[in-house]
Amino acid sequence: MKKTMSKVLASSLAASMVLGLAACGSSKPAETTAQANAAAETTTAAEAAAATTAAAQEAAGDVTLKMSWWGGDSRHNATLAALDEYMKANPGVKVEADYGAWSGWTDKIATQLAGNSEPDVLQINWNWIYQYSKDGNGFYDMNQAKDFDLSQYDQKLLDQMTINGKLQGIPVSTTGRVFYFNPETFKKAGLEIPKSFADLLAAGPVFQQKLGDDYYPMACGQYDLAILLTYYMQEKYNKAWVENGKLNYSVEELTDGFDFLKSLMKNHVIPSQEKLVGDGADSLDKNPNFIDGHYAGVLEWDSSIKKLTGALADGQSLEIADYPADYGTPSTVFKISMGFAISKNSQHPEEAAKLLQFLLNGDGVKTMALERGVPASAAAQKTLADADILNGMTYDANKAASSNYVFALSPYYEDSKLKDSSEGAYYSIMDAMSYDDEDSATLAQDLIDAVNDCEAQANA
Amino acid sequence: MSETKTAKKNSKFWRDNKGLLFIIPWLVGFLIFKGYPFLSSLVYSFTDYQLFNGIKTTGLMNYAKIFSDKKIITSFMTTFRYAFMTVPLKLIFALFVAYILNFKIAGVKMFRTVYYIPSILGGSVAISVLWKAIFKQDGIINMILAFIGIQGPNWLADKGAALFIICLLRVWQFGSSMVIFLAALKGVSPDLYEAASLDGAGKWRQFFTITVPIITPVIFYNLVTQLVQAFQEFNGPYIITQGGPRSATTLVSLLIYNNAFKKYEMGLASAQAWVLFIILMIFTAILQWSQKHWVYYSDEEA
Repeated sequence: MKKTMSKVLASSLAASMVLGLAACGSSKPAETTAQANAAAETTTAAEAAAATTAAAQEAAGDVTLKMSWWGGDSRHNATLAALDEYMKANPGVKVEADYGAWSGWTDKIATQLAGNSEPDVLQINWNWIYQYSKDGNGFYDMNQAKDFDLSQYDQKLLDQMTINGKLQGIPVSTTGRVFYFNPETFKKAGLEIPKSFADLLAAGPVFQQKLGDDYYPMACGQYDLAILLTYYMQEKYNKAWVENGKLNYSVEELTDGFDFLKSLMKNHVIPSQEKLVGDGADSLDKNPNFIDGHYAGVLEWDSSIKKLTGALADGQSLEIADYPADYGTPSTVFKISMGFAISKNSQHPEEAAKLLQFLLNGDGVKTMALERGVPASAAAQKTLADADILNGMTYDANKAASSNYVFALSPYYEDSKLKDSSEGAYYSIMDAMSYDDEDSATLAQDLIDAVNDCEAQANA
Repeated sequence: MSETKTAKKNSKFWRDNKGLLFIIPWLVGFLIFKGYPFLSSLVYSFTDYQLFNGIKTTGLMNYAKIFSDKKIITSFMTTFRYAFMTVPLKLIFALFVAYILNFKIAGVKMFRTVYYIPSILGGSVAISVLWKAIFKQDGIINMILAFIGIQGPNWLADKGAALFIICLLRVWQFGSSMVIFLAALKGVSPDLYEAASLDGAGKWRQFFTITVPIITPVIFYNLVTQLVQAFQEFNGPYIITQGGPRSATTLVSLLIYNNAFKKYEMGLASAQAWVLFIILMIFTAILQWSQKHWVYYSDEEA
């Protein structure tokens, strides 16, 4: 009796284990398993001429690396293809990929980091290193990676990725905000693409009269407005947005900034937030009014230009505009757009570094192309220039942004306390401006408090 | 000597409690995946646990903050408004449709299936796209309203309207309540209706004096489960409005999520979860107490 009991128990336990395994297996992306199989086949057929590194790895036994990133389909395909190439060249290494869209990605990675279950190689946002690795021990110190060529990178960029002397990740690319306008809509209004804020302010009423109430020369969400404000302030007062952990402007100066934003709304240059929310789209590139040219301009990251032009309807296009310099020297918002970091818990940091070397400086560069913006690596830039890939709007926009920034961005500029769409101060303050027409001085004080709080808490 | 005795005792214990072996897998799962997080969140609620900075102090500050912070209080009030708007609407609607589907109409089986479909769709991303397309400023609803000469509100940007469309999403997903009501309606003896109609009672009279009293236990059951569900609503505001416009649809569960996974303030999030839990317990207790005044169990009469 007892025996049968334990038998039943054992078999049911075994069954549940098998079920669990099956569930795990199915969650793996199909492509990578296919690639892994392909890689395994090449192992048997490995030619004698195969690189000595591959032989060394095989001697060390098979290595499995996990890698994760966020992005759109074209980035996924390019990265998967590059990983495929790497696995073909290095039969001893198997890379498992985990990828998805940006929305919700931060939450996912934060949970993984807190539970020490992050992948070996992960694409990170620049500000994450300040959020998740305040003491520099959150990620593997890339200075220790002998196989990664750091000399390809601008020391200024590396410094921005370093905490307590520990290099937290490799800066993959830089990005800055650029003004883009839709020439078709401006032509319909009988106007040139604006070259200054004065042009822009003058375009608003013309749009309203000639094209109708639904046409605006520009559209800005709440976060875009915060960036536009930063741009205006840095240009007019010629000082960095944040310095020494404090918002660098007096209430009076910032009041002027909010008055400027309000003048844009009053002059029919930008639609109100009610109007944008009522359009029912999560972001401008999904907004039908942007897609068909009703909103004829944006202030966007240079790396997002593909996404924006890709969304436009037939016959619509975007053009890079000159930075408006009405009030002084333009200084746009410019930052390291993303990096690759290696997990501090990785079993194979050296292997992970070799993979990054391949993807960022080596043979993988061509396949990865401009999918993560214009690469920061000099070697990658050379490879892409030789292959005639380093051109087009993304490159032009990045060049324009990088030659039009004066002040470095605070790493806490994008802290979720400020930038998060449901909890962030940028959102609540810009909404208060748009919905309630809140007094500019109050808005200025609120923003100063929010930024100073955030910086103080971050630096504590 | 004593060893064999304990062994004997052990085997006797297992012989008497074989059932225990069967529930052990469930018990282990429950303790690890439910019991442990449940208790640990109670412990965390008395700390300032931050996901990446750990615990620095302990005390009641999280609870003090919940009852003083304007944003959190507003969120709780919004949740009350949401629940008290959604639950009655949904139950009335579900009962109404179930009542109609209880008649012998041609194709009624198909309708029963069709009306259940929205419940299966749940809170998927596709639904959020659909909902936004319907309620955006130049969406279907406002086009229809304009056609009959009414200027519709900006549903997604207006505070009150946004909460209402979140409610509508759940009201629309009335399938499971409907199925339960339908089963209850089928249990009402046709003799009673026949007797009533012989006495000249109309359909309305029959509904309110026969149907409703007999199915009160089911109404009670649906009321409790739907209320608990409504207080924990997360998907609707998360996928459709992201808590906006201007926090007008930030229900407590969404606020808990934001605090836990966007600000990483696990201590505060745990405390909010416990306050929500206690509120739910109170409401359930009130309903349990009230049922002796309005819920009719036929076996009690006997």
